[in-house]
Amino acid sequence: MPDTHFYRYDDFDRALIAERIDQFRDQVHRRLAGELTEEQFKPLRLTNGLYLQLHAYMLRIAIPYGTLSARQLRKLADISRKFDRGYGHFTTRQNLQLNWIRLEDAPDALAALAEVDMHAIQTSGNLIRNVTADHFAGAAVDEIEDPRIWCEIVRQWSTLHPEFSFLPRKFKIAITGSPNDRAAVRVHDVGLRLWRNDQDEVGFEVIVGGGLGRTPLIGKTLRDFLPRDELLAYLEATLRVYNRYGRRDNLYKARIKILVHELGVEKVREEVEAEFAAIKDSALRLAPETIEAIARQFAPPPLRAKRTRVPEVEALRLEDRDFALWLKSNIAPHRVPGHVIVTVSLKPAGAPPGDASAAQMEGVADIADAYSQGEVRVSHEQNLVLPHVAIEDLPAVYRALQRLGFAEANVGKITDIIACPGLDYCALANARSIPVAQRISAHFADLARQHDIGDLKIKISGCINACGHHHVGHIGILGVDRNGVELYQITLGGDVDFGRTAIGTIIGPAVTADRVVEAIDALVATYLESRRDGERFVDTYRRIGAQPFKDRVYAAV
Amino acid sequence: MAKNLSGDLQVVSANRLVDGAVVFFDEAGYWTERLERAVVARNRSDAEALLEHARRRSFDAVDPFLVAVSEDEEGRIEPLSLREKIRASGLTFAAIAAEAVRYA
Repeated sequence: MPDTHFYRYDDFDRALIAERIDQFRDQVHRRLAGELTEEQFKPLRLTNGLYLQLHAYMLRIAIPYGTLSARQLRKLADISRKFDRGYGHFTTRQNLQLNWIRLEDAPDALAALAEVDMHAIQTSGNLIRNVTADHFAGAAVDEIEDPRIWCEIVRQWSTLHPEFSFLPRKFKIAITGSPNDRAAVRVHDVGLRLWRNDQDEVGFEVIVGGGLGRTPLIGKTLRDFLPRDELLAYLEATLRVYNRYGRRDNLYKARIKILVHELGVEKVREEVEAEFAAIKDSALRLAPETIEAIARQFAPPPLRAKRTRVPEVEALRLEDRDFALWLKSNIAPHRVPGHVIVTVSLKPAGAPPGDASAAQMEGVADIADAYSQGEVRVSHEQNLVLPHVAIEDLPAVYRALQRLGFAEANVGKITDIIACPGLDYCALANARSIPVAQRISAHFADLARQHDIGDLKIKISGCINACGHHHVGHIGILGVDRNGVELYQITLGGDVDFGRTAIGTIIGPAVTADRVVEAIDALVATYLESRRDGERFVDTYRRIGAQPFKDRVYAAV
Repeated sequence: MAKNLSGDLQVVSANRLVDGAVVFFDEAGYWTERLERAVVARNRSDAEALLEHARRRSFDAVDPFLVAVSEDEEGRIEPLSLREKIRASGLTFAAIAAEAVRYA
């Protein structure tokens, strides 16, 4: 099936990517021939998404705004089989990481990616990274406007932007088009939230200075309402102010969040607005025809309203408990009657979160072609999404996902864990993440129990860089190294829901690796004993505070 | 009983240029994937000399560095830090069985 409902590369895009691959092929050749030192080569490989991790090179592939066609997903499977070990890791930034790439194969892998209009640019370096978005974009019932249109406009503006290729630090932008933020916009360098004002105009709330990592901060509103055609000028002004004033003397103080924190959002706003005033009527103002041309590429698939109550679905719901639970947790409403959005859990009990084999990727691609208009999304929660599924097709989709091992009814539940690659792969990590996630997942594998516990987000990072978003987990787990021993610090009360975004609070001394499951068990037991009707874990925590949880944890471990 | 808990014994490790694999510097001046073949420096000055030698032979290896190891009575060496243990022995969990799940 051709890619029809999102942006297709034009000749300019293809030429640009092809030139980059040719350059990189030559650079790799010169490195292998000894003509380039590692010091000279490292920035070149990083700008092409090639990292050197503990055991091997890792290729981080950009999946712009988390949108993939079945054709692209099949190609990712093919690349992982041909150039890697037959599996990949979907990340919290909606990217795919291949962990075992050979340097000499990297240019061929990039050339294969380019065959399906993909690349690995902007997945490393101090520049504007791959823009992320709501993974339900274009399908969500609560959506005001498809954020991917704006992600694509930002992508085209930011790709190889000469002025912003050497920022003080990396720069991450997320966009949501819904009031229910699924893109975590308040914890990005810039978060953009589309909303409709009293005059029925749609524009952006521009949020700046959010982020996790060593200094977790919640973003502040820089502009309450920005007309859509002024988006690029405003971003350019913001990036200019950051480029001018952002610190370059201290790696840990170089993100824009520190600038906002130190200068204050009022001063940053004053500087941005002054810069914006000078450039807002320049070529950066988006012409209506430009916006429309991009928007046409994201025209929704021509879905017709269908039956919303389907006897076969109801019958299976009654006879198959796991299917009934799957309908409760993995299905979200769709804007077109008779359709739903299906989240494909990449978190089978006891498995590494976010990993998929080549065969599984191909399987999901086949299901997408058969039942979801050939579209797949990657969520920042490390799952895949089938955005356009007819309700009448749910039994077939469920059975197909079961065959892949991806029908776990656990989305949003305690085993839907976000975990960074951790010390098993990552050169920056201090402690392992994946084995901890696996143990928790295996311990809470019983689906009925998970659904009884309800919505509970556990997020695990193997170091303070917080790729596992532990700060905003209802339960956050941070691996630390104390004199060569892995310990895990537990935080409670983090959240990314819009209006309730919060950074978790450390509950006490870190626990040893073999006590993490007991600690989580104690937290869950405290919640189950204390909850009131309808309260999620995090609601109970907010009501009763940390002390009862602490008491139980430290009595248990 | 393991010796050298203070970290006096050291080997030189790096990542192989062509594929990033973890390698160790051996007696013959080559890079090997086998830790047991690594040459062990037994004091600080030997370690520095070994690292310098390895760096001169690093045209096919990336960023050589010293790794503190312990040595048991049979002469088996093992890195002291968890990070280096994982580098030497690989993932600590079973990675997804790439072709175990086939779509039928």
